[in-house]
Amino acid sequence: MSTIALTDKDRFLINQEGQDFSHEAKTFIKIRELALKNLKGLDFPTKKLEDWKYTNTRELSKIEFRPQTAINIIKEKIDSHKIPNLDAYVLVFVNGFFVPNFSNTIEKKDGDFIVTNLNKAKKDFIKLVEPHLGFQTRSKDQFFVNLNSAFSQDGGFVYVKSKAQLDKPVHIINLVDGDLIASYPRNLIVAEKFAQAQIVVSYETIDSSFALSNAVNEVVVAEGADVKLDKIQNENTNTYHIGADFACQQKDSVFTINTVPAKAKLIRNNLNIVIDGTNSIANLFGAVCLNGKIHVDNQTYVDHAKPNCESNELYKVVVNDSATSVFNGKIYVNQIAQKTNAFQSNANILLSDDARANSKPQLEIYADDVKCSHGCTIGQFDSEALFYLKSRGIREVVAEKVLLDAFIGEVLDNIELDPVRQYVDKLIADNFNSIN
Amino acid sequence: MLKIEGLEAEIEGKQILKGLNLEVKPGEIHAVMGPNGSGKSTLASVLAGREEYEVTAGSVDFLGKDLLDLAPEERAGEGVFLAFQYPVEIPGVSNINFIKTAVNEVREYRGLPIMETKEFMAHLKEKQKLVKLSGKLANRSVNEGFSGGEKKRNEIFQMAMLEPKLGVLDETDSGLDIDALRIVASGVNELKSRENAFVVITHYQRLLDYIVPDYVHVLYDGKIVKTGSKELALELEDKGYDWIIEEVEGKS
Repeated sequence: MSTIALTDKDRFLINQEGQDFSHEAKTFIKIRELALKNLKGLDFPTKKLEDWKYTNTRELSKIEFRPQTAINIIKEKIDSHKIPNLDAYVLVFVNGFFVPNFSNTIEKKDGDFIVTNLNKAKKDFIKLVEPHLGFQTRSKDQFFVNLNSAFSQDGGFVYVKSKAQLDKPVHIINLVDGDLIASYPRNLIVAEKFAQAQIVVSYETIDSSFALSNAVNEVVVAEGADVKLDKIQNENTNTYHIGADFACQQKDSVFTINTVPAKAKLIRNNLNIVIDGTNSIANLFGAVCLNGKIHVDNQTYVDHAKPNCESNELYKVVVNDSATSVFNGKIYVNQIAQKTNAFQSNANILLSDDARANSKPQLEIYADDVKCSHGCTIGQFDSEALFYLKSRGIREVVAEKVLLDAFIGEVLDNIELDPVRQYVDKLIADNFNSIN
Repeated sequence: MLKIEGLEAEIEGKQILKGLNLEVKPGEIHAVMGPNGSGKSTLASVLAGREEYEVTAGSVDFLGKDLLDLAPEERAGEGVFLAFQYPVEIPGVSNINFIKTAVNEVREYRGLPIMETKEFMAHLKEKQKLVKLSGKLANRSVNEGFSGGEKKRNEIFQMAMLEPKLGVLDETDSGLDIDALRIVASGVNELKSRENAFVVITHYQRLLDYIVPDYVHVLYDGKIVKTGSKELALELEDKGYDWIIEEVEGKS
């Protein structure tokens, strides 16, 4: 008789079991089954994989994370995670589970839009959810995405009917409370033809000594639709955040995502944008200001599948202390995607000797009539500009802040909601200070 | 007000200033002239506190304080202003925010209350007029896309806003047409008072037609080798620097 030793992955998966999804419609159970099947052939990514060269998951693979519901959620704990002055429909999730009494859902059944939690939508709006949920995430190659597909507890569901628009933005707040929590928040955003939606998703911590936030956002952008997504990652320094954002665009559509990774132990973002209709625009913006020991890895993938489309990608990064930033931006231009206009830029500023920035732009172009540009820079604040400011009586710390605001402001200007901008400005200003 | 004694300074191991002496009293305008490479811009840079320059000997006393001991921003707070030969472009920082930050930083240093927006705007408009600087430039990034003349006028405008005791103009006339030169000079003349002083560093005499100096110094090989009245500038314009160089070399 032989015994087979359990791998880290086996142990990890066993820890995730025990959630009961049997009440779900069969079509949704299938998504989980497919993901579990995919996971059989997958493992925690190692540094041997090109896309994981700079980010190590070994440490997190050995921690005994488990899904757990939170207890004793009080209003005060939630309120401090709202964005001041933001008038929005707020959906609150703690440890991946929906907290209805602190959320405002709205279901205009014959009206223009629905804002609710995904589990409710899976029951009440099955026809709206079924065609989209799990469609973009079905591929079997991403370990963490499949983890989310298999074990996701709940998430936000935003649906905007054709030619309709949300009358105010939606703010989805994801919180963690408790130790060794594994949460799998999963949002589905569907904008039908010519619809408009503005969504803010934030990830924060109530209290936790160790947490894994494995988040997925699936965005459907139909013909002529315009979806804006602001993603704020501000969890505590014991949290591993692995996120993936999927968007599929039909013709004449615009999708914009602003990513602001501010705090955690480790953050990995995978953006997967498929531009699958002509005359569409995808905007990917990242404002990254890091201190302490945080490790942030932003991976973007833009698939230009149809002609006459445009993608704009700008990631600006400031790294202090012994923090690390990784940027890996891929642009794939399909053979038929003529007249593609793809722009990508990643600029990094290092503020300390121990700060690190890795930048890897990748272009794969199979069409012959395209305009694609990419550039990356790694440096310090311009010493001439600093001296000029100081010579006018501006203290060095203030002068550096002035240059920071100018540098990262170019990205943040893409955040349209003023309260969100102010919230993010503060996170970035805090991170600009050294904490070592 | 300013007393420079035996100043020696080097950059990347190369000695540029070799024992420079200069004394400036309130209400005076001093012109420092000299051929290329004589150390004119080094003097300006050392006074403003550029880190690349290392002072190896001598002293600079400014109103009883050791200027060389102060950081660049402290020097500005004490009342030293350098108008740059090549004003720096700072993309993304609006001119108005820059000057507002500077004004309030300097006021804080001087123990004055922060200037509120209304008062600041009134002050700003008045000083813009002084150098005929278009209000449009206020919202543009600092010096970005400014013409040569606009950059220099922006320097004088900043000087007017910060109200220094000592203004050091480093080749402010270089690259200026005669109209811009007049505007810059009249700005300086307006700012001139019995309490403040200016050191005007220039290669050419023409600026001194508009900013009339009390003293003209000739800087050569890191030292002031000749001092005279404003007529000396005219003589230099007429005869060049060679006769002075010969005079100096002959002596040594």
